[in-house]
Amino acid sequence: MKGRAVTTFGPQSSVQGRHRLLVDPAFGVTLAALWLLLALFVIYPLLMMLSAAFLEGGRLSLAPLFAILGKPSHRAAFLNSLLLGALVGLFGTALGFLFAFTVARGSLRPRWVRLIDAATLLPLISPPFTTSISFIFSFGPRGLITYDLLGLKGTNVYGLSSTLAAEVLTYFPIAYLTLRPVLTGIGGNLEEMAFSLGSRRLNVFRTVTLPLTVPGLANAFLLLFAASLADFATPLILAGNVFQVLPTEAYLQITGLFDLKGGAILSVLLLVPAAIVYLLQRAWVARGHYVTVTGKAGPQSAIRSVTPTARTMLLAACAAVALFILYLYALLAFASVVAAFGADHAWTLRHYQVIFTEGRKAILDTLFITFVGMPLGGLYGVLVGYLVARGPARGRGAMEVVSMINYALPGTIVGIAYLIAFNDPPLVLTGTALIIIACYVFRYSPAGIRTTVALLEQIDQSLEDASRSLGARSGTTFRRVTLPLVMPAFLAGVGVVFIRSMTAISATIFLVSIGWNLITVRILENMTELSLGPAAAFSVFVIAVVMAVMSLLNAVVRHLPTATGEQMQWGIGGG
Amino acid sequence: MSPLAIRLDHVSAQFLHRVKGAVAAVQDVSLEVRPGELLTLLGPSGCGKTTTLRMIAGFQEPTGGRILIGDRDVTGIEANDRGIGFVFQNYALFPHLTVFENVAYGLRVQRQQASQIAVAVREVLSLVGLTGYDWQLPHQLSGGEQQRVALARAIVIRPGVLLFDEPLSNLDAKLRVQMRREIRSLQKKLGITTVYVTHDQEEAMAISDRIAVMNKGGIAQIGDAEELYRRPASVFVARFIGHANLLPTSVTSIGAGSVEIDIAGQRHIVVAQCGDLRLGQAVTAVIRPEALGICDASKSDGGLMGRVTSCTYLGDKCEYVVDLAGAELQVIKANPQPSDRILPGTAVHLNLPAAGIHLLPER
Repeated sequence: MKGRAVTTFGPQSSVQGRHRLLVDPAFGVTLAALWLLLALFVIYPLLMMLSAAFLEGGRLSLAPLFAILGKPSHRAAFLNSLLLGALVGLFGTALGFLFAFTVARGSLRPRWVRLIDAATLLPLISPPFTTSISFIFSFGPRGLITYDLLGLKGTNVYGLSSTLAAEVLTYFPIAYLTLRPVLTGIGGNLEEMAFSLGSRRLNVFRTVTLPLTVPGLANAFLLLFAASLADFATPLILAGNVFQVLPTEAYLQITGLFDLKGGAILSVLLLVPAAIVYLLQRAWVARGHYVTVTGKAGPQSAIRSVTPTARTMLLAACAAVALFILYLYALLAFASVVAAFGADHAWTLRHYQVIFTEGRKAILDTLFITFVGMPLGGLYGVLVGYLVARGPARGRGAMEVVSMINYALPGTIVGIAYLIAFNDPPLVLTGTALIIIACYVFRYSPAGIRTTVALLEQIDQSLEDASRSLGARSGTTFRRVTLPLVMPAFLAGVGVVFIRSMTAISATIFLVSIGWNLITVRILENMTELSLGPAAAFSVFVIAVVMAVMSLLNAVVRHLPTATGEQMQWGIGGG
Repeated sequence: MSPLAIRLDHVSAQFLHRVKGAVAAVQDVSLEVRPGELLTLLGPSGCGKTTTLRMIAGFQEPTGGRILIGDRDVTGIEANDRGIGFVFQNYALFPHLTVFENVAYGLRVQRQQASQIAVAVREVLSLVGLTGYDWQLPHQLSGGEQQRVALARAIVIRPGVLLFDEPLSNLDAKLRVQMRREIRSLQKKLGITTVYVTHDQEEAMAISDRIAVMNKGGIAQIGDAEELYRRPASVFVARFIGHANLLPTSVTSIGAGSVEIDIAGQRHIVVAQCGDLRLGQAVTAVIRPEALGICDASKSDGGLMGRVTSCTYLGDKCEYVVDLAGAELQVIKANPQPSDRILPGTAVHLNLPAAGIHLLPER
């Protein structure tokens, strides 16, 4: 030590970070700009909502909270939300495990895997209430199954069971995607080992496979619990009057009673379990419980982990669920091309005519908002991801957490918070397209952020060192080496912002206006007006556009070189 | 451009460890690499060799001391201004660029003309034997080819010094031998002052003009391969370079140009070990396994008496372990013939030429 500063471990040391800020003004400006945006569009709305809920005349007051809690219907909504979340978590995880186990262990033919993947991808890229609409077509008073097939009259599709079923079918793919790598990672070697020690198949499953999957199951449960807690559209369509949940209760409080404060308080009630689940899930993953088996996954075991009979049963169960999902989507498509589903099944394109004339504005608005938001969201994701992975040590963690807040919060909360924050000066944005775009960008870019961070972690520091050793400055290195390599993350971010901008509703339903409307909101309006045909046509249109753009993006991504030469995966989350 | 020397003056590097606090990775290292020389930093993992190399490159700043390349003090100067060529362990080829573009990268950064770049890149690619590989992407190449691209990329910018960080450790054994020959002949042809880091002593001996053996952040000994092998300065170096039998013993008498030591209760003469040994001084005798001759005791008439405890046949040699009054000695017999196999349990005589022993005074 001769009077010079002690450097910390790693290439991203704080000393070098400060150094970089001084050397590279662009870096500092970007950092400051992003923090400003995060403060404005993440922290500020949340604080405004909390103050709307708890401040009375500038003083902290819990009286309105107790008033809200005093109403039995609100208390019931709170408990219903928790009950629904727990049940969706339970059944969704079970279904996801069934699918993951069958795909990982069933030695399926590729076409079966393709069927399963298609059936599980559909709910992820559709508007969240697509399943609900199909449920009404299928099980409603004039439903295909209840009325036409079984001849039942006056059936009631609304309530807990149908809401639960629709949410499970909508969200179980998240559990499937979470559990499949876990089960594949456990791999043949461990099971082979157990077999070699004389264990029977069921014993191996019970003593090796299942215990090793428990952390993954817990993670999947929490993800589904959070998704259900945040889900707004399904309960709005299917829960009816008998089974109110918090997001719909908050929505009705605001749109029905024009009670912003009450809506804010109900949102805060929703915030409590959501935050607990989020923290639990983070802690769970951070503690390393999630990845139980590290290192190279063993080769696929030559020994069948399941008996042929069990395999057939598993496959049959999965195929039944997958076919049911496909049936629901087919029903939707069918409903969009017949005059009046359940009454008059004459072919017609009238509903499409309706959506392209009366619904034209919603379509154009949605596309405008989506295509403006896409590049912004992609860029924002890459920049935040870069600063989180390679920025100054101090503040990196904080930036990561803050950038995830809007994503982790139920959409209802974000929507109400934006409504409260941007309704009055200093920043009036309600009624503009900007508020909807900002909502999407800051809510759905975390996928891009995470992909960027993951990619940068794969890009060895030596690549940037190599560039420096060849005489390139940090700016040149970023432009010529780092940026091309995080391109897949940019596109992944763009893809997720795109899907969500086309399909999301829970936050933006509070933000639409006469000036700017959205397809998803129109679908919901159609549903409440019982014009089911246009609702179906809108849904089919959205799914078709999403699929087309996604395959385009996929084709581009497939031709991009990555640091490891591996294929990129879309980070599609729920919500 | 005439080759540049590299000088390290009392260079140190400290890290802030979360648990242990300040940890010294490199401590007060002073070293001169002569112009045009290939000097290897050799040592076990964690000895500070890579940190030293990265400080020369400028990827890491020393926390003390200074570094000179030629006459220029480069301490505190960014890596991109040091005029170095660096070859990484994992090659660090840009995965999104072709072979041509990887090699051209440094020249493009210098904003050279396209025609100049094309000529220089083609020339250096032919130098490393990769003519015709221009449009391949790194992942389409074998490990050896990737290494050649990395080498080409480093030398095309005509760096003042060339730095290698364990460049061969990801290659298989045969390719390693071939590549180290190629690197050495290229280095000689270009006459670039080179620092080479490895943990493989055979590689170090094969490729270097001189070797600096490092241990615990410091330099244990600098010398050419033979010097390090025959006259290790410490037990650490003796153990690290080649195999060695280390026998703790003491000086029993001192003559003119020779000393006498006690080996397993039997006296033995050591020659050419002059210097500051005293009578009765505790020393460690370094005896290389291949310096010992082994003979069935029934067929010979002299030497250190021992008994074979194990014998391992390895084709080109036979490895014996011999019990010498409680001390175990490793003995290597090169080119063993079926007739002179000695079975475990056999009493043997070990013959040790007086020049085959190196004495290390106990500290």
